[in-house]
Amino acid sequence: MAIADYLLPGLLLLIVLCALWKRVNAYQAFVDGAKEGISLFLSIYPALLAMMCAITLLRESGLMTLLSQAVARLIPTLPSEIFPMIFFRPISGSASLAVLIDIFKNSGVDSLAGIMASIIQGSTDTTVYVITLYFSTVGIKKIKNSLAIGLMADVAGIGMAIFLTLMFFS
Amino acid sequence: MEAGDTMDIIWLFMIALALIFGLVSGKVDLINQVVINIGKDTFDFVLPLICMTCFWNGMLNVAKEAGLLKKLERLFSPLLRWLFPDIKEDKETLGYIAANITVNLFGLGSAATPVGLKAMNGMQKHNPDPKTATRSMVTFLVLNTAGVTVLSTTLIALRASFHSQDVTGFMPFAILSTFFASFVGLTIDRWWNHHGDR
Repeated sequence: MAIADYLLPGLLLLIVLCALWKRVNAYQAFVDGAKEGISLFLSIYPALLAMMCAITLLRESGLMTLLSQAVARLIPTLPSEIFPMIFFRPISGSASLAVLIDIFKNSGVDSLAGIMASIIQGSTDTTVYVITLYFSTVGIKKIKNSLAIGLMADVAGIGMAIFLTLMFFS
Repeated sequence: MEAGDTMDIIWLFMIALALIFGLVSGKVDLINQVVINIGKDTFDFVLPLICMTCFWNGMLNVAKEAGLLKKLERLFSPLLRWLFPDIKEDKETLGYIAANITVNLFGLGSAATPVGLKAMNGMQKHNPDPKTATRSMVTFLVLNTAGVTVLSTTLIALRASFHSQDVTGFMPFAILSTFFASFVGLTIDRWWNHHGDR
């Protein structure tokens, strides 16, 4: 995909040119921003460790393969590794990230499952987590139909991701 | 529904079932391997991810200083006033919503959350019943859960660290899917929650 190759350098160029134009303290801004990235490690590593532990155990015990194959028999067009991804995507960001890493490691990052999982991961956010966090922060108890609509949007996004992968990559 | 409790149960069940199944089918050695190595294995995945995130956080901060984020916010403002009609007078809250969507667009979910929470607080100020979600809140969360992301920095970093032959090839399709998810979400939200009003 040639256009996508120009996306990142193009964006960088835009940022740098704007910073040059506005004469901002760009060097210090970059260093400060990058510093915040380190603090992200402290929040990501523990959550991902919890999920990687559970998912690696599920895979190594053979249970995940067994379950995936059972579901795969119903929908034979999809690679069986993808089903845990579909299940976890709306529930937990770290769990779906752990499944994604697992697929990259075992099926390959450029395999059909690897590409499909990448597109699914990018297609929607962690609905259950987002809704819980945002509503509980402002003290709202009645969330109306937001969870239902969020999950329907997830189904649409994941369905589209699967459809596009099958159309363009298989 | 409390997602926290749900997560506890799912997590414990996953581990318990995996352990029981593994032990019964005679995979004690494999399970021991996992328990010993999982800490370092996870660390090895997270490290390149964090390094890449540091880079993008730095660049995003430069973009913010250069006023690029503010420009994007102004770009969104007509759309926002249509999506959130009951708070269209509240410029500050709309600004937070725009910033949240913008940061999400760049795939920096962790940076989007604090701004999103500020937007929620802003909407709560106009809420006649503080325990019940307003229509704007539902619309805002539908937009957030669909996760409109154009530049998935985490995914790019992860794919690069696994030596993909085509690191960014998935992006156009992910963008199409996420826009489709948002479109479906917003359409259902409009039809279900706002039909009748214009």
